[in-house]
Amino acid sequence: MLDKIIFGDNQFFGINHMSEEKAQMLSEKFSNLKDIVDIIDFAYDSGIKAFMLNSNERAKEICDYFRDNSARYSDLILYPSIPYPHKFANLVAEKGIFNALKDYLLAGLNMGNFFDILLKGGMAILKNDIFKGMELLVDKEMSLFAGLKIKVIFLQNIVTDLLLGLGIKNIFIEFAEYIKKKYKVEPGFITQNLPALKGFLLECGIKNPIICASINKIGYLVNPNLQAYERTLKEHDFRPIAMSIFASGAIEPTVAIKYVCKTLKIKSVVFGASKKQHILATKKLIENYCA
Amino acid sequence: MAPLRGGIIGLGRMGITHLSILKSHPDVRIVGICDNSKFVIRAMRATEKGSDIIICSSYEEMINKSSLDFVVIATPTKFHSEIINFAIKKNLHVFVEKPFVMYVEEGKKILGSLEGKSLVNQVGYVYRFNDIIAQVKNILTDEIIGSIKYFKVELNSNTIIRKQKLGWRGTPKFGGGCLLEFGSHCIDLAVYLVGVPTRVMGSAFQNVYSSHVEDIVFSTLVYDNNCYGNVFVNWSDSSYRRPTLNIVILGEKGKIIADSHCLKIFSSEPDEKHKLKKGWNTKYITDFAKGVRIYVRGNEFTTQLDYFINCIKNKAMENLSSFEEALKTDIIIEKIKNNRFDNVR
Repeated sequence: MLDKIIFGDNQFFGINHMSEEKAQMLSEKFSNLKDIVDIIDFAYDSGIKAFMLNSNERAKEICDYFRDNSARYSDLILYPSIPYPHKFANLVAEKGIFNALKDYLLAGLNMGNFFDILLKGGMAILKNDIFKGMELLVDKEMSLFAGLKIKVIFLQNIVTDLLLGLGIKNIFIEFAEYIKKKYKVEPGFITQNLPALKGFLLECGIKNPIICASINKIGYLVNPNLQAYERTLKEHDFRPIAMSIFASGAIEPTVAIKYVCKTLKIKSVVFGASKKQHILATKKLIENYCA
Repeated sequence: MAPLRGGIIGLGRMGITHLSILKSHPDVRIVGICDNSKFVIRAMRATEKGSDIIICSSYEEMINKSSLDFVVIATPTKFHSEIINFAIKKNLHVFVEKPFVMYVEEGKKILGSLEGKSLVNQVGYVYRFNDIIAQVKNILTDEIIGSIKYFKVELNSNTIIRKQKLGWRGTPKFGGGCLLEFGSHCIDLAVYLVGVPTRVMGSAFQNVYSSHVEDIVFSTLVYDNNCYGNVFVNWSDSSYRRPTLNIVILGEKGKIIADSHCLKIFSSEPDEKHKLKKGWNTKYITDFAKGVRIYVRGNEFTTQLDYFINCIKNKAMENLSSFEEALKTDIIIEKIKNNRFDNVR
């Protein structure tokens, strides 16, 4: 069963889709781990136990903190999303796809010969078998979250949507199977193309898939359009999670949540907030409107 | 109508994005892919197992074998003109990544060879298809801020933030460097929004981490009608999370401040058509939110390619980002190169 409320992480990493200025202010506000932890603790103590965390540069320090204070976070459940695409985008721009993958897999591993040998083998695999390469990448990203309780592992949206456009069914099938087999949790997919992705995943044979998508009343990052989303959500052959419900602040909170939870009857919502009073207010609204 | 048959040349970061957007287009069939990396070819063959798509390392072979309607060229800039010439000879519609070509002379020859042919030609100046930029263009066209006195177009990013061995983008002879990679976007926006300057002065190259190419470029554009503009690009600024565009335009009746998400307009009088109050008006991208057929990395990437495909389908020869339009930017780039202060080479 998916958590009703999942606390998102975009605000911690200076991500705001509406304004570069707000993004910069967020980045400054959360430049110290202490300030991130302060917000996480507040959400956790107010009863939110599920957290979505992208495998970006700062995820490691947050996860280290959770591991170092495991007694404090005994009920914590993570919904990681992998990979962090911007670090790859720059690497790919500089070095081409293969060298970017190679350098990424090799980076930061100074743990002795064992890993060297493993990775030399890994390079040969990466060269010859793209699916095994995918598994190596998943493992590398997931090493950030080692030892923490995980419910769903998501494929991040830029990657999901790129692969959706490419129409490569095998990658989705292999990803889903590998997550289930190796990590014993459910695979999930984040997208900005909910109707197309849902149909595609069902065609891939991935039954009742977990799909996290921007869903909001003004149709921001909703593709191809809101009508298609509303139609798709009535089909009940997948498990939706709504994100971007406030469209980066463009929709008034009560209106936003009423639409997502009451009109669309979505049972699981991701939201991020940088202010404590917003966490409480949003949580209360979701609990009020979410059946 | 039978689907249009397309080929993609160069499967780097942009090529793979274009492939994703076009492969999912209902009126397009991608029948050929070409890249010079063995790894990319192997990976594409593995993922395309069972399909009859041609995957090879030679663009000539791909074009000759796949009876195409159009090609998308996303190679290093150095190879653009050679591949465009080959594609035009084969009567193919062409979409090429920005900048158009390395040298103005090459571009002029290409324009000459297009004469008398009905071939759609487009350069990937993707900001022209951004919803905020489209609003800025409309406001300027309707002269809401009056005649333009000064403007500034800036693009900053954290693309190169340490000393390292670089691929083609760090190699001048392949068309690397921040001027071609980032500066071309800003210059194109100056051309699109304000027009073609008559003079270019006060240009300089600066390096931060790269040893063979420039990391920072700035230049002053001078216009006949007493207007001045600055372009500034820096791909080595670690305070940015991703490429970030900023535009300021000062007119005699108002001012525009824009990035790719937000638009602020100071207007000296209200305007009904653009829903502007007297004084400050802030509009966000969410105010113009419209979905696209498939979202891969941003609405504008899909919008520009769907526009290209529509132009082919409708035999529309007028193009928002044509070769002719893009050559204007190449001419300005050449002027900047010729009159720059240079710390790099």
